[in-house]
Amino acid sequence: MAKFIIRRLLLMLLTMLIVSVAVFLITEAAPGNVARNVLGVHITPEQEASFLNQQGLDEPFYKRYFNWLIGTDWRASRKVNLKVKKITRENAFSEWWAVAENGSYVRWEMEGEDLIAEYLHPDGSLEEVEENFRWEVKSPPSEIERLSTYRTSLNENQQLSAEDREKILHELDRILEILSQDQPLSSLDSALKEPESRLAGMIDQQALRQKSVLIDTAKDITRRNTLIRAVNSYQQAEAWEEELNSDTRQSLVRLYNNVGEELKENHPSLAGQFARAAEHLEAEDLSAAEKELAEAVSTLDQLLGRSALFLEELKNERYSEAADVLETWSDPDQVPLDSSQLTVFPALVEEIGSGFDDDVPLLSEPLLEAAERMRAGDTVEARELFEQSADNFRQLTSTIARGEAARGARAARSFWGVNSQNLAVQWEKGTGKIVWRLVMGSGWIATSGGPVEYIPLQKGLLRGDPGLSLRTGRPVADLLFTRLRNSLVLAGIAFVLVMPIALVLGLIAGLNEGKLIDRVLSIGGMMFSVTPEFATGIFLILIFAFWLDLVPGATVFGEQAPWERPEMLILPVLTLTLIELGYVLRITRASMSDVMKAPYIRTAYLKGLPQHRVVMKHAIRNALMSPITVIMLHVNWLLGGIVVVEVIFGYPGLGSYLLDSALFKDFNAIEGGAMILVAVAVGTQLIADVIYTFLNPRIRYD
Amino acid sequence: MTASKKDTLKNAVNQPSWLTKMWERISIVFESKVALVGLIIVLFWVTVAIFAPLLTPYTPTEQDYTAQNQGPSRAHPLGTDSLGRDIWSRLIYGARVVLVMLPISESFWLPLGTAIWGVLLGLIVGSTLGLMGGYLGGWIDEVVMRILDAMMAFPVILLYMIIIAAVGASATNVVLAIAIVGIPGIARLVRSLTLDIRTRDYIRAAETRGENPWYIMFVEILPNARGPIIIDAMLRVGYAIFAMGTLGFLGLGMPPPSPDWGSMVAKGRQFILSGSPWAALWPSLAIASLVVGLNLFADGLREESLRYQ
Repeated sequence: MAKFIIRRLLLMLLTMLIVSVAVFLITEAAPGNVARNVLGVHITPEQEASFLNQQGLDEPFYKRYFNWLIGTDWRASRKVNLKVKKITRENAFSEWWAVAENGSYVRWEMEGEDLIAEYLHPDGSLEEVEENFRWEVKSPPSEIERLSTYRTSLNENQQLSAEDREKILHELDRILEILSQDQPLSSLDSALKEPESRLAGMIDQQALRQKSVLIDTAKDITRRNTLIRAVNSYQQAEAWEEELNSDTRQSLVRLYNNVGEELKENHPSLAGQFARAAEHLEAEDLSAAEKELAEAVSTLDQLLGRSALFLEELKNERYSEAADVLETWSDPDQVPLDSSQLTVFPALVEEIGSGFDDDVPLLSEPLLEAAERMRAGDTVEARELFEQSADNFRQLTSTIARGEAARGARAARSFWGVNSQNLAVQWEKGTGKIVWRLVMGSGWIATSGGPVEYIPLQKGLLRGDPGLSLRTGRPVADLLFTRLRNSLVLAGIAFVLVMPIALVLGLIAGLNEGKLIDRVLSIGGMMFSVTPEFATGIFLILIFAFWLDLVPGATVFGEQAPWERPEMLILPVLTLTLIELGYVLRITRASMSDVMKAPYIRTAYLKGLPQHRVVMKHAIRNALMSPITVIMLHVNWLLGGIVVVEVIFGYPGLGSYLLDSALFKDFNAIEGGAMILVAVAVGTQLIADVIYTFLNPRIRYD
Repeated sequence: MTASKKDTLKNAVNQPSWLTKMWERISIVFESKVALVGLIIVLFWVTVAIFAPLLTPYTPTEQDYTAQNQGPSRAHPLGTDSLGRDIWSRLIYGARVVLVMLPISESFWLPLGTAIWGVLLGLIVGSTLGLMGGYLGGWIDEVVMRILDAMMAFPVILLYMIIIAAVGASATNVVLAIAIVGIPGIARLVRSLTLDIRTRDYIRAAETRGENPWYIMFVEILPNARGPIIIDAMLRVGYAIFAMGTLGFLGLGMPPPSPDWGSMVAKGRQFILSGSPWAALWPSLAIASLVVGLNLFADGLREESLRYQ
């Protein structure tokens, strides 16, 4: 017997293994994008890649499977060079920390370019320390290679002034020399300090922050301003023949109509041209539209002082080209600032100026002032202000270019540690790579340098940790067991109700085979057992909750689920009961009617025993054998029924959890739930076999 | 002409025609009241499904925003759903997908319904596996049975959910899911029948003739096992409809706006407690009646055929 049970248990583990691989494979192949599911449909590709990277989802599936099975902490420990440990703090959240050399727990964050360590001492106190000494230069050969490529790109960098370039190249060559000296990594750091601090002196952090304001403003205006959009749209006109689908055509028609509206008052002829272009486009007469637009757009572009070009160059970080356009605004030959121009141009200048507002006062102030002057008709003053803003622009952008160039010229540093999001992280600085990070409360933030590689920390299923749910960000185990408990309560109550009733009714039907009561019971039982759970559930809701208004038709639980509102359990339990009732009843009936035909029953009758003694003493025990075991085998079906019942009544059980997770593609949650379901299904089959041997001593499993 | 040849001829003349044979088979149904009731219910649904376009002036997706969530009326015999679609027309077009046609793409469909195709596909694969396991035996049997055991240990609902999540919700994929879930059961049944039949003399005879094992499996064994298989298949069609409804209800069935009974219930359910029970009631009744009808029919047939044995 023991041998049999052990063999079955081993078989169960094997089945679980097969099922877990199958679930992994199928979920892997399933369509749907888990990053989109978690973060919403509007994330950019970079953000998506970064999310997948952080969750370890960009690794091949077999690697993820092993991570899930045997955990990642040992791998992370090797990278961090410290032991990594999962601890539970007072707030009952499990957290991963590294165990520092002195026995305290530690984890790190990168703030700006500094590494900040947070220590959790044995007495429970927290301490923050700056730990820049932990940075290590990445391997010199690869850094030499990277910096040499960078050197070439510096030489081609048009935005950099010759003087700045000279200075940066000088320091870069020093760094390359130090790197190629083949020193141990520890002394490398101090040797690099000198040239790198000089490079750091060339970086103007404020200017770098202003850069993003400049670019964001440019992007914003190109996206929003109708006139600029109209000018830009014409640049794609040559590709219209092939690419213009009906959606883009419609949006262009709308755009040109809007432009026409906007210009109608001051530039009726131009407005007319745009309106006609829209008409042609609508009629799909592309060449006529293009002809109409060619002239209209160039007129409009002149009116706007070629601002579209300015914004485009700014967006693409071609500062000197942008500055050239800005300079033309002060030149009467190119930008006349005549009465017709003054109807549209000041508004645009004002829009650009207010975009730079506050963050880049050097540009926004003269531009806003110029717009004011133009409105007042004082073009001479406006021109002076334009000249001034062009100068400021050149100055600012050269500071930016210098800072960026200097920033990339340093040798990159990296560090493997543990962060507060339970990830082992490799931070890097100095590579100039842009990393997207989701920061709670402030959304997505692009940082240069920062985390580049992640290992999500988990112990693995074999060590009892099913991982984190992607959907909720909390450990799967937490929710899974609450949900399992809720489902078990539901199934348990139904089971306790079903068994006696169904067995008794089944025996009655079996004893009266062929009579009316048997027909009614077995056909009635069949009807209940084959009707889908959702249909039965709907009927019950309609009858008891809607027409009779006796019990609630849905379950809404708080923390104390499922005990807090017992009346909410009535309908779900009833639904499950009806389905199971029919099934058990039919099996019991069949078994009873078989037994009653057996020779030993006939013998008992012939002995002259009264009916009740024959039934009670001889028939029932034998008749109950098969129903009890068959019911256990039926658990697999019952699980399906529970899922549906949970969905109908909104019951927070394991089934609805699994369904949500499957629709969400939440790997860890599906796997965790699947393992429990398989364990329940296979486990009950084992129990059925064991019970069977007790009921029927003739069976031996050897 | 020798005497023996004469006898053969005579026998041939007296042999009942295939029509009479058919009639004998069919008349079994009329012996059992239960089977007859089941048959009538099933035939009702088959008929309305086939003639659906003639039985309603509406299409199943036609929306009427002036008549939402209405009870039965002369214009809409069963009322309307939350988008003002006629429930009767959605029901009978839904029955088409279940029983009469399998939509493969927008313009192409196969005769016989989704449920039936699911069972047929499961029968083809399941019987082949069962025949192989039962007749060829040896390691083939071991491997086939172990795989089927693992599939049976897999909770059915999880299997459905994962298959549909993996391949996406469409009629073809529902067929696939139903077939995959049905395979282990069918294979086990066919295997046990095969184990019984392979000991018969005519199989021994065929083996002595030197027939190909595949010939023996499909020409000798399978036809002789058809009785239980057919009744099992009928019950399975019931299960398949059950499963289709459940999938639809869980949002894993046909994609909207196609008239799927399960998803009709799921949608209608939201409006029950706000006072419009019709959109949930009718499709629930429809699916319950069809499944019960099929089971009554299969049960009655089984009982009658057992009586003759």
